[in-house]
Amino acid sequence: MTKKSFTLLLSSLLTLSMLSACGGNNNKEAAATKDPGASTGTNTTATTDPATAEPEKPTEIKIMLPLNTTDTPPDTIKNEVEKLTNTKLTYQFFPADTYEEKLNSSFATGSLPQVTYLKNQTTFLQMKEAIKDGQFWEIGPLLSEFPNLNKLKPEILNNTKVDGKLYTLYIGRPLARQGIIYRKDWADKLGLKAPANTEELFAMAQAFTEKDPDGNGKKDTIGVVDRNELVYGAFKTVSSWFGTPNNWAEKDGQLAPEFTFPQYIDTMDFFRKLREGGYMNQDFAATSKTDAVNMFTSGKAGLYIGGSMQDIDSLNKDLIKNVPDAVLDTHSMVAGPDGKFAQWMIPGYNNVVLFPKSAVKDEAELKKILKFFDAMMTPEVANLMYWGIEGTHYTVVDGKAKATDNKELIEREVKGFKDSVIGEYETNGMYQSLNVLPGRIHAEELVLENVKYGVADPTAALDSATYTSKGVELQQIIADATYKYMYGQLDKAGFEKEVENWKSRGGAKIIEEYNAAYTK
Amino acid sequence: MPKKYKSSSELKKRLWRNKLLYVMLIPGVLYFIIFKYLPMYGLIISFQDYKPYQGITGSEWVGMKHFSRLFTEPDFLNILANTLILFGMNILIYFPIPIILALMLNELRGTFFKRFFQTLVYLPHFMSWVIVVSISFVMVTMDGGIINELLAYFGFAKINFLLSPGWFRPMYILQVIWREAGWGTIIYLASIAAIDPGLYEASRMDGAGRLRQVWHITLPAIRGVIITLFILKIGSVLDLGFEHVYLLLNSMNREVAEIIDTYVYTAGLRQGQFSYSTAIGFFKSIVGLIMVMTVNKVSKKIGEEGVY
Repeated sequence: MTKKSFTLLLSSLLTLSMLSACGGNNNKEAAATKDPGASTGTNTTATTDPATAEPEKPTEIKIMLPLNTTDTPPDTIKNEVEKLTNTKLTYQFFPADTYEEKLNSSFATGSLPQVTYLKNQTTFLQMKEAIKDGQFWEIGPLLSEFPNLNKLKPEILNNTKVDGKLYTLYIGRPLARQGIIYRKDWADKLGLKAPANTEELFAMAQAFTEKDPDGNGKKDTIGVVDRNELVYGAFKTVSSWFGTPNNWAEKDGQLAPEFTFPQYIDTMDFFRKLREGGYMNQDFAATSKTDAVNMFTSGKAGLYIGGSMQDIDSLNKDLIKNVPDAVLDTHSMVAGPDGKFAQWMIPGYNNVVLFPKSAVKDEAELKKILKFFDAMMTPEVANLMYWGIEGTHYTVVDGKAKATDNKELIEREVKGFKDSVIGEYETNGMYQSLNVLPGRIHAEELVLENVKYGVADPTAALDSATYTSKGVELQQIIADATYKYMYGQLDKAGFEKEVENWKSRGGAKIIEEYNAAYTK
Repeated sequence: MPKKYKSSSELKKRLWRNKLLYVMLIPGVLYFIIFKYLPMYGLIISFQDYKPYQGITGSEWVGMKHFSRLFTEPDFLNILANTLILFGMNILIYFPIPIILALMLNELRGTFFKRFFQTLVYLPHFMSWVIVVSISFVMVTMDGGIINELLAYFGFAKINFLLSPGWFRPMYILQVIWREAGWGTIIYLASIAAIDPGLYEASRMDGAGRLRQVWHITLPAIRGVIITLFILKIGSVLDLGFEHVYLLLNSMNREVAEIIDTYVYTAGLRQGQFSYSTAIGFFKSIVGLIMVMTVNKVSKKIGEEGVY
């Protein structure tokens, strides 16, 4: 008997490693909702049946969204929003770090809630196939019924269309907010100006490393701090200054990917020299964002490139704890070797929200949910969700919101909701932020200025089936090759060989598909 | 060895007598049915182009498409080799260490010291891989990590531990040993404790020294446990701890660090290719099953008890 049950135990343990990578958590989930139909049932029964609902009865909405803080926020803000919008909201927060996993496993088991926030543009691209498959509601034709949603910017909506149809609402972000956050006190001490071109940028990194900017007599500082991220780290921002196109551009009358352009190689050379000279952190290919930020805020590094210049507030807050007399400033607009300005632009949104058909059963229900989002785009609700409760989380000064100095309170109670507000202040009427830090005020000016030199991604609204299914995997080949080049393990020929490898594994098809969509 | 019962009534009687034991078995059996057996139904999707909205019943059947894609993937052999090498290191380098450690702990005299060291070696087990990897990152980074600073201080060249393919495997196995070795001793220590002290006394009378006692009494006594654990370890042949490897993986060491688990993660979960990743998981399980059955057979052939 004991041996029998042991066999049972053993074979069970062994046989079950399907979807093994998602770990125990997802195994349970797969078991709990193995039949998508069943879970759909539970979701819809949980929501209000529009036919029988009283007109005043609050709409019940389940919302799943990524959480960028460590703890789930309390209901303070939620309760207020419910009062204003006549809804009964259930928020399911999941940590942003593992959100893709959560998203995909919920999707695989058919258990997405009525309102599903994605994580970023990449997750949106991955969802495109399912969207085309008709698994989410198309909302384009309904928007005109909602006065506030109708204000969303058409050019950005256009960037989020799939096969020319609109399925999503977007969370707006400035088009070009990437740039440099640097130690102005160091620069002043060494008599350096903000870098006007890539050569001066290199010189600054060199000086920050070699000329002892912190004046402690030791060579313990570095110029640039970067992390293991080619897009949202320093690389992409600098590559746009070098004149590399934004993901794709025309070359000999055809769309070609950025890494086939000579400027991409120039950018890699730039970083290769930075690394070889010791002017940036040597382990950047294995450095996490947290480690990179720590290196900067501990006063070890002088240039933080890429990411949003608006992050200066939080970097400054942590830096002055360690180095009280540090001064930060922001900068963008670094001319390339040919003297021209160019700035990488995002498509105007950082995330979108989808409405799965498995959870929203008919158009009547969809309209009720959209009504909630329409209300979210009124100044009243948008301010509440973005800034919190007036008097507690912020005050209004000169018609702008001034967040309370108690940053922890905002982190805890507001941040979770802040990241879900649809639109931007131009469309939802919420307060702009009142900035006091000179570097931040400068950043806001630069964000507006950047757009003038912004380079858009011509494929933002285009589709490639191969890219959707294999793009991320293939991109890995390029990312690996790029790092190897920057670390001096590949030469130009070696890099080009990897590009050929990318082409033969499906890249050629991606090029073909984008071009077909482009000329249409 | 279970006895053969003469009649079914005798069996019934025995069952009835032990009824409480069987009641206690129920939660465990239910657990396996619900969380381990029912999900196997999901393996079906590895033969389909699974579309969540259409479900298992509505998705299109594609036969072995996903399996053949896996086997024809240019990186497949490399990934499989990486997986097997890490597994081999686990077996050859890691596996004996808890045994040696347990024997050493057993030789420690004085309960206090024994307890103290025991606790000390199993504490790391309670740290997550994120912590373990972060600690090593801080120690070995080129940007001020203590080990590289020491190397530089003594005039050696700094070593890029984090980004060189050659250092990935040593770092991996050292971290496994640091985190798991102490924890692994528990079961060996327990079975050592069960050895009849009379045996040691008798051997001392015959003039056996410490080493002789270990060799002729302790080791043979725990041989069964070692073999059982060995077979179990073989069963998890391709499970190397996804999280651990994923945290160590980067663009510079991918050629040696990409294993089946991390590949499933990038191809499957991050890209939403459910059928494909399920097929890979399925393949992994089958390999594990075959390995266990083989080792179990071998172990029985050489006269040891297997696990079943």
